[in-house]
Amino acid sequence: MRPDTSASAPAPGASVSVVGTALSAVTDADGRFRLEPVPAGSVVLRARLQGFLTADHAIRVRAGDTVRVDVTLRPEVQLLSPIRADARSADVEMFVSKPNIGTVALTATAMAGVPSVGEPDVVRVMQLLPGVVARNDFNTGLNVRGGEADQNLVLLDGHPIYNPFHLGGLFSTFMDATVGGIELMTGAFPARYGGRLSAVLDVRSAEEPRAGVHGSADLSALGASARLAGSFKAGRGMWSIAGRRTYADATTQIFTDNIFPYHFRDFHGRATYAFPRDVRLAVTAYEGRDILDANLAEFDTDTAPSRAGAGRWAFNWGNRVLGATISKEFVRGTLEQRFATSGFSTVLDLGDGAFAQRNSIRDFRLGGSLLGRGVAHDPSIGYDIATHRIHYASASSQTGTTEFDFVQHPMSAAVWVADLWRLSAKWIVEVGLRAEALSGDGRDWAALSPRMSVKYFATPELALTVGGGRVTQFLHSLAGDGPLRYFDIWLASDSLTPVAIAWHYVAGVERRVREDFSVRLESYVKRYERVMEANWSEDSQRRGDEFFAAEGTSYGLDLHTRWHPAKGPSGWIAYSYGMSYRSRDGARWAPGHDRRHDVDMVGTWPIAKYRLGARLGYATGTPYTQIVGEIARRVYDPSRDAWGTGDPKVLVESMGGARNGARFPATHRIDVNASREFHVRGTLIAPYVSVANASNAKNVFVYLYNYSTVRPTRRAISQFPVLPSLGVRVAF
Amino acid sequence: MRSNGRSALGARLSALVVLLWASACEIEKVAIPQTESRVAVHSVLSASSATQVVLLERTRNGSFEITVPFDIHDPVVSDAGAAESGAIVTMTTPSGQTLFAQEDNTVVLNSGKGAGTYRFALPGTDLERGGTYQLAIFTNGGATITAQTSVPLGAAAAVAEQRLFDRVRDTVLLEWPASPGARSYLVRIETPFGPRSFFTDSTRVRLTGELRNIDATSLPRVFVPGFPQAVTVSAVDSNYYDWYRTHNERISGAGLVNRVDGVIGVFGSLVRLRFLDFRVVAPQPEPAAGMFRFEGTQFERSVTPYLNLELYVESKTARADQSDALSGRYDRRPFLGMMGCVTCGLLGTVKNGRIELVMLLDWSAKDTAEVFTGEIRGDTIVGEYRGLGGTARFVRQP
Repeated sequence: MRPDTSASAPAPGASVSVVGTALSAVTDADGRFRLEPVPAGSVVLRARLQGFLTADHAIRVRAGDTVRVDVTLRPEVQLLSPIRADARSADVEMFVSKPNIGTVALTATAMAGVPSVGEPDVVRVMQLLPGVVARNDFNTGLNVRGGEADQNLVLLDGHPIYNPFHLGGLFSTFMDATVGGIELMTGAFPARYGGRLSAVLDVRSAEEPRAGVHGSADLSALGASARLAGSFKAGRGMWSIAGRRTYADATTQIFTDNIFPYHFRDFHGRATYAFPRDVRLAVTAYEGRDILDANLAEFDTDTAPSRAGAGRWAFNWGNRVLGATISKEFVRGTLEQRFATSGFSTVLDLGDGAFAQRNSIRDFRLGGSLLGRGVAHDPSIGYDIATHRIHYASASSQTGTTEFDFVQHPMSAAVWVADLWRLSAKWIVEVGLRAEALSGDGRDWAALSPRMSVKYFATPELALTVGGGRVTQFLHSLAGDGPLRYFDIWLASDSLTPVAIAWHYVAGVERRVREDFSVRLESYVKRYERVMEANWSEDSQRRGDEFFAAEGTSYGLDLHTRWHPAKGPSGWIAYSYGMSYRSRDGARWAPGHDRRHDVDMVGTWPIAKYRLGARLGYATGTPYTQIVGEIARRVYDPSRDAWGTGDPKVLVESMGGARNGARFPATHRIDVNASREFHVRGTLIAPYVSVANASNAKNVFVYLYNYSTVRPTRRAISQFPVLPSLGVRVAF
Repeated sequence: MRSNGRSALGARLSALVVLLWASACEIEKVAIPQTESRVAVHSVLSASSATQVVLLERTRNGSFEITVPFDIHDPVVSDAGAAESGAIVTMTTPSGQTLFAQEDNTVVLNSGKGAGTYRFALPGTDLERGGTYQLAIFTNGGATITAQTSVPLGAAAAVAEQRLFDRVRDTVLLEWPASPGARSYLVRIETPFGPRSFFTDSTRVRLTGELRNIDATSLPRVFVPGFPQAVTVSAVDSNYYDWYRTHNERISGAGLVNRVDGVIGVFGSLVRLRFLDFRVVAPQPEPAAGMFRFEGTQFERSVTPYLNLELYVESKTARADQSDALSGRYDRRPFLGMMGCVTCGLLGTVKNGRIELVMLLDWSAKDTAEVFTGEIRGDTIVGEYRGLGGTARFVRQP
């Protein structure tokens, strides 16, 4: 197989399959592939490679014969992003070859044109899928089928990333131009994945197979980003680097006397190389940082003649990922070895050391797998070993006092075996067993987590699926259950905090109405044997009370109708019904993300050189705790031995009623966007305009109560108002 | 007082973000029904206090609004509270003796003030260290409230140590003996902008002039030149510690640790181990800083309200379009029947020779007595009073 370029080079890494069967192969470094046993008769051979149009070849195979097929792939043109994969084929590929329970795969093309806030964001697109709840407009955390955002394993090219959010959850760390595709597993995931209770989001970097250097630059209301990429040695090697920075802090000072002390930045790098003998090396690097550095003395003031005495507020956080994967293709298998380090850190410093709180998590991991490809079985075996270092501290360098300061050094290991068994043309079974262990900080824990999924093809277009398994999690976040998730503070299970455990059960049916049109209905139950809830009353001078162990259950139904033709309008309709609750010590409550009904309709329309996009969303309200009064927190003054002095004004605090006992009103939102392509001397220029909440719906974010008045009041604070944004992408 | 624990940090961030957004995006404000009010108790047994006090009031439910200025003799009512009057408040000592508290508003000399303030005639010196005290309250509404506290060991500091503290040059290392029975130690520094307080398990703390007050929104420095600032270190029991280190988060209304049975509140103990009174000073090299005395005729001196100014440049501005911040103190002219402070605090600003001084009613930034605006002309400050009217000259003293 070769790509249709001027160099006529081989096409390594292309996927070749026989349509309607589970037979598939990947071309080696020389572009060669082998498929057997191909059923006799007329079959269609399908070849796919990112950056190129899918090629179908009809061939006739006689029993016992070997047929040689030469395939030439034509590159995709008129791309908004340099990398494109055909969503249709990946979708069908997954349908016919795997149980793919609760799994949705989207490529960059499928996500292009979906209305955005500020700029395209892959995680916000995820929130429009069934089973995924967005807590509110300000939060890109994914609550998947009743799970918390920190219960998702987020991977970048297979390497974990801890807090993939900026601006307290408003945007994700994934730059649109660097994303080649995503795969979201909403539950009952295979044995190769572990360490999280809820879901797996696997983000794959875009790769550049075209010769030469290509690039793109994006300018949006949020910030600027740029990407350069290219390939060399006839496609053997590929590289890309990209960066992004917001610029509100710079532009504010041009127009006002005030300052905007916040920005974030990202850097992403990716390189791959196909060595001889089918060895491939892939390296991914990511570094992102949010910086809020405010010298309050530099702020403008309308109320006070001077802010000279004000102090400094410094708050920054960010992720780092560096991972390498070496793989070798055999005739009947793939051997893969991964090395990676990933970390997240946050520092809050008030008053130049008057109070500083820090949290950091860093891991070094070694993993590998051996995947076999047989006639009826695809067995696999793998391992993952990781050492972690977690540091959490709160102290005042100015007073020389330490509130707490501890370090954890957990070591985790997992070994898994699995088999994808094609029982017959109608049955596919995937079974797996994951053995996990955790050691360190007084906790020695081990467990076996079985996983299983079964797919039955009632007809070639109609499949029934059922699956389930046990999942565990030993890294927990102290973020809590509030409407905003400014950052995650990570702690590991140790002698004081147990490992969390849950069971997933999923059953569903999927119908491929046409090659480009599918309908899937899935029901699920997640049973939390033990889930760790952050304790907001915990004593910072004591260890072991950071979390409560609670039980819980989530169940529901997800409907996904999707159409994605090669040309023309595309989109999907997602409906989710969900119910979640937690319980502890006889008390029962709904978690803050519990949403009964959630509907999203997403569509994109290419019309001539324009692309239009729209999203209509409706969701019933999430729970909140009603405030039923206020209490004046009186303070004893030991210097005067008296209660309060009137100064400062007495602190009044809210008193909550039943935890999450009320519901916000339903929300609805219409987002639209439009973009147009211009081609100027080989350069693509695509300006776009987006309007989030185009109907200016008044969706409630929180309620604020005031009982310190004769007539108590409740104020409703809104989510996004109508939010227009402009941007442009330039690509060459 | 704010604790620095994780819950307080999260509550602080959450409240900050919500308030920032709320200022721009309110979509509705509706009246809601009043809710049921509960009884709230605040009581701390203090080993240095002449008597022991229990504050009893109702939680706010939208049925009252208080606008009376604060009166230390009427702490509940004047501090925006609805007193729970007429309750029977008793305390059982470790030796089994039962004491009865008297509500302050029933004392004739109090002129009706002190509703909700119940006082035990039990001096702090008589509190049994390590002993457990049982509180029992029976309200008119039929509520029965019980709680208990154990008093930490340790000798109470009765009198403040006077200390001069140069904010630029001095560092104070404060140490105290460990107190058996104490859950934690409360360090509290009084400032014009509200106290800075925090808990520590350590028995020492370092105080420098650069210390910032993170309990105040704009993070001002704790020590303000010209002001007397009390510093106390107290051993507290677990009731006190748990109540004051936790907060109810604004949106969820949850987080507070309550150990009073039947209602909400605190019954804790406190032993003041260290008590210092810092007289905060700083170098005064700037033109606007120094000691200034009123200059005028004998008659003018006999009627001017203010005699002396002691000024410091508290902070230099970080912006060219704003002023430097001033702090200091002023002396009032004594007269017969004078009430309030004789020497009081002042805050102000200076920019390009223009000066504005805010004379405070006492030592708190909250209450203003007078505002003086003027110019610096060499060694003289000339200006006028906004409230009283009239002009004044203050001349720098060597």
